[in-house]
Amino acid sequence: MSYVVIEGLHKTYGTNAVLSNIDMAIEEGEFVTLLGPSGCGKSTILRIVAGLTGATSGVVKIEGKNMNDIQPKNREVGMVFQSYALFPNMTVKENVAFGLKMKKMNAIEIEQKVKEVLALVHLSDKEHAFPHELSGGQQQRVALARALIVRPKVLLLDEPLSALDAQIRKKLQADLRSIQTELGMTMVLVTHDQEEAMAVSDKIFVMNKGEIAQEGSPTEIYTKPASEFVANFIGHYNVFTKKELEQMIGGKLPGEREKFAIRPEAIHLKANAGDLRFTGIAKEAVMSGNVIRTVFEVGERTFSVEQLHDRQASVVLGNTYECYVSQEDVVALI
Amino acid sequence: MRKKGFADLFFVFLLLYLFLPILATMLYAFATNWNKTVLPEGLTFKWIATLFQDSSFIEAFGRSVLLSGGAVLLALLFIVPAIFVIVLYFPKYEKWIQAAVVMVYAFPGVILAVGLIRAYAHIGVPMILAVLGVYVISILPYIYQGTRNSLRSVNGKQLLDAAELLGASKAQAFTKVLLPAVYPGLFAGALLSFSVLFGEFVLINLVVGSRFETVQIYLMKKLSTSGHIASSVVFVYLVLMGILTFIISMLTKRSKGAAKA
Repeated sequence: MSYVVIEGLHKTYGTNAVLSNIDMAIEEGEFVTLLGPSGCGKSTILRIVAGLTGATSGVVKIEGKNMNDIQPKNREVGMVFQSYALFPNMTVKENVAFGLKMKKMNAIEIEQKVKEVLALVHLSDKEHAFPHELSGGQQQRVALARALIVRPKVLLLDEPLSALDAQIRKKLQADLRSIQTELGMTMVLVTHDQEEAMAVSDKIFVMNKGEIAQEGSPTEIYTKPASEFVANFIGHYNVFTKKELEQMIGGKLPGEREKFAIRPEAIHLKANAGDLRFTGIAKEAVMSGNVIRTVFEVGERTFSVEQLHDRQASVVLGNTYECYVSQEDVVALI
Repeated sequence: MRKKGFADLFFVFLLLYLFLPILATMLYAFATNWNKTVLPEGLTFKWIATLFQDSSFIEAFGRSVLLSGGAVLLALLFIVPAIFVIVLYFPKYEKWIQAAVVMVYAFPGVILAVGLIRAYAHIGVPMILAVLGVYVISILPYIYQGTRNSLRSVNGKQLLDAAELLGASKAQAFTKVLLPAVYPGLFAGALLSFSVLFGEFVLINLVVGSRFETVQIYLMKKLSTSGHIASSVVFVYLVLMGILTFIISMLTKRSKGAAKA
């Protein structure tokens, strides 16, 4: 049996269903991400696992034990909040030591553990600072240290990096993943940032409107999106109807599926054996650093192509190009 | 340049307009004789000394502190926990408190006084207790604002959640985390309430009058006997309010610093 199990979880507020029929299985030591647009219910799942919000129906089990009637303080679940939730009147050290004090651990041991965990999050020199004297990134490190020190069975991270700027966010993502690997801790991250999800996770649950749209490894989710929603949310997928795509390639597509998705970087301008071929007029190009995205027009609709930014890749707007895609990269959607 | 000169001049006049009466009153408290001259003929501590030797002033001061302090204390004991529970757990009922806050402003003192006398004078409730009760309610706006703003700025609900997930019981989360975090704002609200009540005159004079002589009533009496003593009372009162205001501003600054966290 999995380490954390969620079965048949439902949550309604009044007549409004926030979560319906959520089933999840999370293994010990796994880094799992709940990914979805805001309001899809992902944070509510975290709060239910933590015991801060009650479920309308369904079961949460940790290590095989039903958590439904267990108080948050006895669940051995840690949580890091988007707004840090540090205790403003306590120093960094006091904040981090709080969980151990509640466990009535002796002062010498607390002192030592606080030092260890602060070193882990690279904040050894900020022990005596108050939260308001720290930057956002540092505050979030303190919040992480405070949650880690009690060694929870599961650490829940509720959009912990969303309030930080891009550079610090990238750095903290890497730190988070390396700390998780080092401690072998089970973590569940909630985010709406698909890049973040793919960068840190072992497994991703993509959520939409209170339901799980797809689950799988980052590679599975990215290369084999199951539905149009996932394809659009996870990248800049081109989604075509069967008819549109058959017209473009001038041939028949196998199977019963009505919609197909193609990643923009899977379309290239050089032919390989066995590729599907179609033509498009270059209409618009956007350069975002290492990648150039070109929008092509074909008949009534457009599709986009992403190429690495090298000198040969330049496309002349207004010209007609032959585009190629490997049959494997044409993903049939539900 | 000319515009700036005009603005400066206007500012000086404004300051004079605002502070001259206060300065004059304070100066009068230390003046030996100030009848025919522009400035006092001499300065003395006589009036202040007389004031502090007057046992009825000391008693009045004590009564004021007791009455205002008592009301604030009762409000802290009964109103603050209610506000905590409502803001944190039943936010949809907050509108009722807000309505109550407006009601407090809506009642003119005279009507309140007449109402109190009609309601309580014949049923044996000491009128001073009735006034105390009204005081407790009348500082609701200050206590409510102070408490609610602190709770909002520290994100009280989330602090409680965080503390509980770290193994604290609800009581521990409340006493060890939430209360210390909102304490500066709470204390500032309490001091503000205290200073408002300390200066209250209408209600206490109409309902109780000289049966429970507070500083304000003492001041009223002295106005007709000695201007110097009355000025001294105002002086002492202003110094006290100055100290309270200073403490409030220090606390507000501190809670703002903490709110950034």
